[in-house]
Amino acid sequence: MPVLRIEKLSGGYGASDVIHDVSFDVEKKDFLGIIGPNGSGKSTLLRLISRILSPAQGSIALQEKDIHRIRLKDLFKEIAFVPQNTIIHFPYTVWEIVLMGRIPHLNRFRSETRKDFEIAERSLALTDSLVLKDKRIDELSAGERQRVLISKALAQEPQVILLDEPTSHLDIGHQIEILSLLRKLNRESGLTVLAVLHDLNLAGEYCNRLILIDKGKIIRQGLPAEVLTYQTIEEVYKTVVVVKENPFSHKPYIILIPK
Amino acid sequence: MKNRTKLLLLLSALIIAVILGISKGSVSIPFVELFQRQNSAILQLRLSRIVVGILVGAGLGISGVIFQALLRNPLAEPYVLGVSSGAGLGAVIGMLFGASGIPIQICAFLGAVLSIALVYTLAREGSKIPIQSLTLLGVTVAVLFSGIIVFLVSISSNESMYGIMWWLLGSLAVFNLNAMIFVAFAVIIGSVTAYFYSRELNAISLGEEEAVHLGIEVETTKKILFVLSSLITASIVCVAGIIPFVGLIIPHMVRLLVGPNHAILIPASAIVGAMFLILCDIISRSAVPPLEIPIGIITSLIGGAIFIVLMRQTRKVK
Amino acid sequence: MKYAVLIAALAIACAYSADNVFAEEGALRIISLAPSTTEILFELGLGDSVVGVSTMCNYPSAALAKEKVGTFSQPDYEKIVSLKPTVVFATGLEQAFTVGKLKELGIRVVVSDPSDFNELFESIRKIARIGNKEAAAERLIRGMELELRSIDSRIALIPEQQRTTVFIEIWYQPLMTAGRNSFINDMVRRAGGRNIAYDSVRPYSYFSVEEIIRRDPACIIIGYMTKADNEAGIGNRLGWKDIAAVRDRRIYNDIPPDMLLRPGPRAAQAVEKIFKRLYPQETL
Repeated sequence: MPVLRIEKLSGGYGASDVIHDVSFDVEKKDFLGIIGPNGSGKSTLLRLISRILSPAQGSIALQEKDIHRIRLKDLFKEIAFVPQNTIIHFPYTVWEIVLMGRIPHLNRFRSETRKDFEIAERSLALTDSLVLKDKRIDELSAGERQRVLISKALAQEPQVILLDEPTSHLDIGHQIEILSLLRKLNRESGLTVLAVLHDLNLAGEYCNRLILIDKGKIIRQGLPAEVLTYQTIEEVYKTVVVVKENPFSHKPYIILIPK
Repeated sequence: MKNRTKLLLLLSALIIAVILGISKGSVSIPFVELFQRQNSAILQLRLSRIVVGILVGAGLGISGVIFQALLRNPLAEPYVLGVSSGAGLGAVIGMLFGASGIPIQICAFLGAVLSIALVYTLAREGSKIPIQSLTLLGVTVAVLFSGIIVFLVSISSNESMYGIMWWLLGSLAVFNLNAMIFVAFAVIIGSVTAYFYSRELNAISLGEEEAVHLGIEVETTKKILFVLSSLITASIVCVAGIIPFVGLIIPHMVRLLVGPNHAILIPASAIVGAMFLILCDIISRSAVPPLEIPIGIITSLIGGAIFIVLMRQTRKVK
Repeated sequence: MKYAVLIAALAIACAYSADNVFAEEGALRIISLAPSTTEILFELGLGDSVVGVSTMCNYPSAALAKEKVGTFSQPDYEKIVSLKPTVVFATGLEQAFTVGKLKELGIRVVVSDPSDFNELFESIRKIARIGNKEAAAERLIRGMELELRSIDSRIALIPEQQRTTVFIEIWYQPLMTAGRNSFINDMVRRAGGRNIAYDSVRPYSYFSVEEIIRRDPACIIIGYMTKADNEAGIGNRLGWKDIAAVRDRRIYNDIPPDMLLRPGPRAAQAVEKIFKRLYPQETL
């Protein structure tokens, strides 16, 4: 049984649909990358899955249960979302932020228990951020903030983690750091990852499956080597490239050809 | 410093303010003598002002915290949705039609409730309440109602309209027990409920999407909290008039002291709000005896000064 | 015969003591929040029973020595309560709010807001009854009536149409006047003047400059609570210079506001002063 099944999904922000008739499965322990040009609808698709937007047509099922029939709180015990924009305007401490990840599990009239604190600590440890515990969120670098937000997501103890362009604001060192972290969580903790990525090389390197979207429709989906062919990329991105194999990881590697 | 310690310190400061408030007044009486039989009237007077001051200060403080969190606007304050002008309009219309059977406070309360309902209905888009529309419409309705109030007062031949002007300036001189109980009820229930929504408020302050992603029914929460804080504000306004600035600066001041976590921000704002108002009331009563400076003027002056200092502090830090 | 006299004496004694029952038990402690009432109290000989006055109560000079309980519109509740008054006198209008609060505190409040001389006399009598000074009240009222009647007889000879038209300026920014339910209106009327704002019902209201120009008053009487502008200032206002009062330099700001704006013991004197200005050709 797939963790997530998206069937004939259409939807958008207002009257018009941005996503048209999209169907795909997410299997347990997948590291699925959603790629595509700007404006293709990647973020919209993610927001349809995370219940920010309502589908006009089609269905999204978590373990064969329609996500719109699950109580919101219960849904987010299984799914966690890490946003693209990590700037927080209030000086919460890292600890306070990560503890917010426990909200779906908490009862309004009871305070956090020792179990909650332990889970929060473990989540910080998993992203190597324990040392940041008492710092204020507005004192951190972008990379550190990103790790803290991933910790917050992990504190929800989800099966699936959704990420919206987790690396677009980071330098190359941090990009590798975050993606390696996600790979570690995926392999060692069995976390299913669904990430919108804009860098094709990183996507090809770290994901076990890719979905290429353009103009709201799926163009190709499958293994990175199947999706990242020079023909496909030319067709979608309207630019000529050469696809080679990365000598170290044997994953597809795209070489730009300047005009 | 642990949160609990901070709260205890603030509470002690409040108690000191209360003692100060009981002992100061336009008539000098040594503290111990206050409790003697012949001074019981004055003691009662001062105590009632302090109780009202605590309720109003705490209510405005918490209400300010909630509005700033929900509207994600640091300039938000309890009157931003037109509650005060709604109350004023209700009172004026009540006086106009000589509804002598119904106390003015009830008319004011109805006015406040109706103006909130109006703003809410106009801002609503389906089942959502977009906060930008809410803020804009709130300001618009407030100005509109203020204009109507001035118009009605200017054409009316009803003499008690003059009283409206003083009532609008705000005063803690509430001697009516029923009114006090009414405010106490609204403020206490509102504040306690707000406290139990601390986690939601924290999450919403990160962003409405973030809050949904933590399993929070954001629209429902917003509705509940808006109604709650509007009721707190409405009950305060119709009994004590319009006291400006408190709901605006107390959340900022307290956030600087205890941080943005609503679980401590809410109780701390209640305590600091109460303390602030008692101190302003002491000044209003004893600065230039036997004159009593309307408390709205004191809160504006001191509140404004504190706000400027705060702004400069935060700018330096940046 | 003897029994009839005895019964009559008893009846009078009963009536008199019945009146006494309504008077206050114990010492009379009066607070007056209105300058006009303060003047009446002192004039009736109740000055010793006055324990507190407003800051605006400046006449007679004995009132200045009394304990101050706040301004005209913002009373100091604590002060008032500490003085343990048996009765507080106030006016309506701006003090309406205060009156409500004092009643909530359980204090006896008597409001007097006379809009003409008859109401003033009734008010004086009511105050006198509370302090058992009915005789003094009658003397005061008779004195005022005599003054008024002497002016009445001189005005009686002037036909209505020829009576001097007056604009009463209560404030200039915004422009406010006194309508027909104000006391100062009655003062002007008793002085033989015609208030051009007669059709305005409210005691105090805004008035349009255009109406003033159209109604062309012969005199303007300035009734500000504080020191007024001089006549030149008014003449310089846009559009005013062709008004009869401005042209003929009949703008009077020299009647002390303490006398002009208080429905009190000096009201008849104020009418006398107004009369002299409205009809300078009349000699006493």
